[in-house]
Amino acid sequence: MRTHVLNGRVRTALWFSLAVLFLALITILGLVFAREAVVTDFSRKNLPPSSACIFGTDWMGRDMFVRTLAGLSMSIRIGLLAAGVSALLALLLGILSATMGKAVDSAVTWVIDLVMGIPHILLLILISYACGKGFRGVVIGVTLTHWTSLARVIRGEVLQLKEAPYIKVAGKLGLRPWQIAWKHMVPHLFPQFLVGLILLFPHAILHEASITFLGFGLSPEQPAIGVILSESMQYLAMGKWWLAVFPGLLLVLTVALFDVAGESLRKLLDPGSAHA
Amino acid sequence: MKKRIGSIIIAVSLSVCLLSACGAKQESSQGDAGRERGNTSLGASMETGDSVIVAMGPGSEPEAGFDPAYGWGAGEHVHEPLIQSTLTVTKADLSIGYDLATDMKVSEDGLTWTVTIRDDVKFSDGEPLTASDVAFTYNTVKEASSVNDFTMLKEAVAIDDTTVEFHMAQAYSIWPYTMAIVGIVPEHAYGADYGEHPIGSGRYLMKQWDKGQQIIFEANPDYYGEEIKMKRVTVVFMEEDAAFAAAKAGQVDLAYTAAAYSDQTIDGYTLLSYETVDNRGFNLPALPAGTDADGNLLGNDFTSDVQVRRAINIGLNRQEMLENVVNGYGTPAYSVCDKMPWYNDEAVVECDPARAAAILEEAGWKKAADGIREKNGVRAAFTLLYPASDSLRQALAADTQNQLKELGIQVTIEGVGWDTAYTRAQAEPLMWGWGAHSPMELYNIYHTLEGGLAGYSPYTNETVDKYMDQALAASDLDASYELWQKAQWDGETGITQEGDIPWIWLVNIDHLYWAREHLQVAEQKLHPHGHGWSIVNNVDQWKWQ
Repeated sequence: MRTHVLNGRVRTALWFSLAVLFLALITILGLVFAREAVVTDFSRKNLPPSSACIFGTDWMGRDMFVRTLAGLSMSIRIGLLAAGVSALLALLLGILSATMGKAVDSAVTWVIDLVMGIPHILLLILISYACGKGFRGVVIGVTLTHWTSLARVIRGEVLQLKEAPYIKVAGKLGLRPWQIAWKHMVPHLFPQFLVGLILLFPHAILHEASITFLGFGLSPEQPAIGVILSESMQYLAMGKWWLAVFPGLLLVLTVALFDVAGESLRKLLDPGSAHA
Repeated sequence: MKKRIGSIIIAVSLSVCLLSACGAKQESSQGDAGRERGNTSLGASMETGDSVIVAMGPGSEPEAGFDPAYGWGAGEHVHEPLIQSTLTVTKADLSIGYDLATDMKVSEDGLTWTVTIRDDVKFSDGEPLTASDVAFTYNTVKEASSVNDFTMLKEAVAIDDTTVEFHMAQAYSIWPYTMAIVGIVPEHAYGADYGEHPIGSGRYLMKQWDKGQQIIFEANPDYYGEEIKMKRVTVVFMEEDAAFAAAKAGQVDLAYTAAAYSDQTIDGYTLLSYETVDNRGFNLPALPAGTDADGNLLGNDFTSDVQVRRAINIGLNRQEMLENVVNGYGTPAYSVCDKMPWYNDEAVVECDPARAAAILEEAGWKKAADGIREKNGVRAAFTLLYPASDSLRQALAADTQNQLKELGIQVTIEGVGWDTAYTRAQAEPLMWGWGAHSPMELYNIYHTLEGGLAGYSPYTNETVDKYMDQALAASDLDASYELWQKAQWDGETGITQEGDIPWIWLVNIDHLYWAREHLQVAEQKLHPHGHGWSIVNNVDQWKWQ
C-alpha cells in the first residue's frame, strides 16, 4: 500500500468524483438532446452503428445514441427525485418510530411490513396505474415504494442511540424529544442517510426501467430506457443487435456507477467499515 | 463493493434470461406440430402432399372457441368459418356467391329475405342440415353476439326443410354480406361447450385444440362441395419473431410476418404479399372544440376547417409513406373501402404539397415566425394519437408528423391505450385501422348516430346520411352499390376531397407471409382488416407442387 502515490482515501474520493461527474454528464447531455431524441428521419432507418450514429438508428430512423442518453437522463432524474423523497420519508418515519413510543412504532413498522410484503414490481404497477400511468404515475410509483429498507435501518440506528448515555443525559437535562432528535440524532444519522440515499438510486433506476419496459409507464415515442429495450426485443430476431446492446450496456454502466459512488462515499464517511 | 456490483450484474443478466424465456416459451409452444414437421424432410411432406402448418399471431386464437355467436368468423375480424357452412360466400371480386343457399329473394319493402338452401348437406355427426338449423343459428347469434351487430334482424323462421325467412327490423340490403360470415350450427348439438367441440357441415373438422398452442383441422369426408385438397391443416400461434424463427427452422409451411422482416431471406421460403383493404388512416374532427354531455372534449378548432382537411389530404405523399414505413408493401389508400364493389374512385387524389400550401394560405392560415401556421390566434397544430402497442401505426403517425411539418402544421404524436383512445378521438385525430368485406363499415364511420354525430369522429352530413339510408333500403344489391358510391361523392357533396373529407386514408397494408417454396397458396381475395384467418379462407384448395 505504501508504494502507492495516493492513499486509499484519496483514491476513493477520486472514484467518487469520477462517478458523480460521469452521471452528471449523462444527465446534462440527455437534457440537451431532449428534442433530437424524438426526431424521426425515415431516410436513415435501421442503420447499424457508424461514425455518424455511433449507436445506430431504429426502424423510424431515430438516433439511438441521443435516444439512449435522453432515456438515461430521464431515469437519473426520476431516480434523483425518488431517492430524495424516499430517503427523507425514511428518515422521518425511522425517527418517529423510534422516539414517539410504542403505538407509533408499531404503526410505522406495520406500514413498512405491508409495503415490503407486496412484491415490489407489483406494488409499483398498482400505484402507477392508480395515479393515471404516464410520467406522473411512474414518478409517484417509484417514489412511494423505495423508502422501506432505509426506514428500517434508521429506526434500528435510533433505537440503539436512545440507549446511549449522552442521549439519556440530554433527556434528563430537559430537552424535548424532537430537540433531541434534531440536535443529537440527525447529525449522527447523516452518513447513514446519505449513503442510503445514493444506494437507493440503482434500485429506483432499474425499477423505472422495468416498469417502462413492461409498458405501464410512458408512451412509446418517449425516450425511456425501458421503452428502448422493449422495442429492441422485436428487432433482435432480424439481427438488429445494436438496438439492445448499447442501451443495455449504458444502463448497466449507470447503475454500476451509482454503486461505486455510494460505496466510495460510505468508506469516506465511515472509515471504520472499510477495514471490516 | 465488488460483491454489490456483482449482484447487480447478476440481477441484470437474470432479467435478460427471464425476457428471453418468454420468447423461448412461444417457440416451444408450437409443440407436436413443429416437431413432427421438423423431423420429416421436405421431400416427405411433398410425398404425402396434403397437410400444411400455418403460423398466426397469438391474437388470432379464438378466445371463445369456434362459436359464431361469440365471434368465430363473424367477429371483429371477419373470415370464412371453415368448420361451419355459410349461406352465402364472398367471391374473389367481393360480389356474393352461394354456399348453402341455392336462391335468395328480398321483398319489395326490403323487410323479408327468403333463402332456399341445399337439401343434401349433413352435419359431421350425420344429422341433416335443415332450414330450422339456419333459423336457430340466426336467432342465437342475434341474442348472444356481443362482437357483431345483428339488431337489423327481427327473427329468422324456417318455412319448410329447405326454406328460411328472415324478418328484418329495418331494410338491410347488404344482408348477403352478413350471411357470408355466420357459420350454421346444429340445433340438436348446440350448447354451452359448442365453442370447444364444434360440429358443422363445412370443409374441416376441428380435431384437436391445445389452447395457447395449436389447432388441428382435418378434412370433412362428407363435405358436399369441391374436393378438399389439403386434408390436414395445423394452425400454430406465435409472436412475429417466433414465427420468423419457426420458418427459419423449417417448422412451419406458412408463417405470417410484418414488413419489418421483408428485408430478410429464409432459404427454401418465399415472401408472399397479398393486397388488402386493411387500411390505416386518421380522423379529423369536423366540429369546433367544445364538450359533450359528459364533459369530454369534442371537436377541434383547427381540423374543423374543411380547407385544412382538404390541404392535409392532398399534402400527404402516400407513396413515400409506404416506402418509409412498410418497405413498399402496400398500396395508397383513399377511402375505407378501396377496390370494393361499393367504392367510389372519385376518392383518389394526386399528392400536391404546393396546392395544399396554397389552400391553407387562401383559408387564412399564415405562417408565423416559427414556421407554424396560425389563424385568429389558433395554431395549426394537433396531437395525433396512435395505439401504444402498434409500432406500425406509430411509424405512420411519425411520418405524417414529418410530412405535415413541411406544410407548416405542427403535429405531436402520442401513444395511448384503447381504454382512452375512443374518447380522445372525439377531439384529436387517432391513427385507425379499418377495412371490411361489407359496406356497413362506411355506415359505421360516416353515418350519424342518434345524438346527431357520427360515432368515431364528430361529423355530420345529411346528404351522406340520406344516400346510406337509401342504400340499406334498396331491394337490389347492385343498385345499393351505386348509392354507397354516391354517399362518398355524388358530384356535389360527400366525404371525398371536394366534399367534407372528415377522415384521411393513408395506406392499405399488404399482408405478408413466409411460404415454403413448393407450397401453392390459392388465389386470395382482398384481405380485410386483421392479419389472421383470412389467409386460410381457401386452404382446402392449396397444393404442394
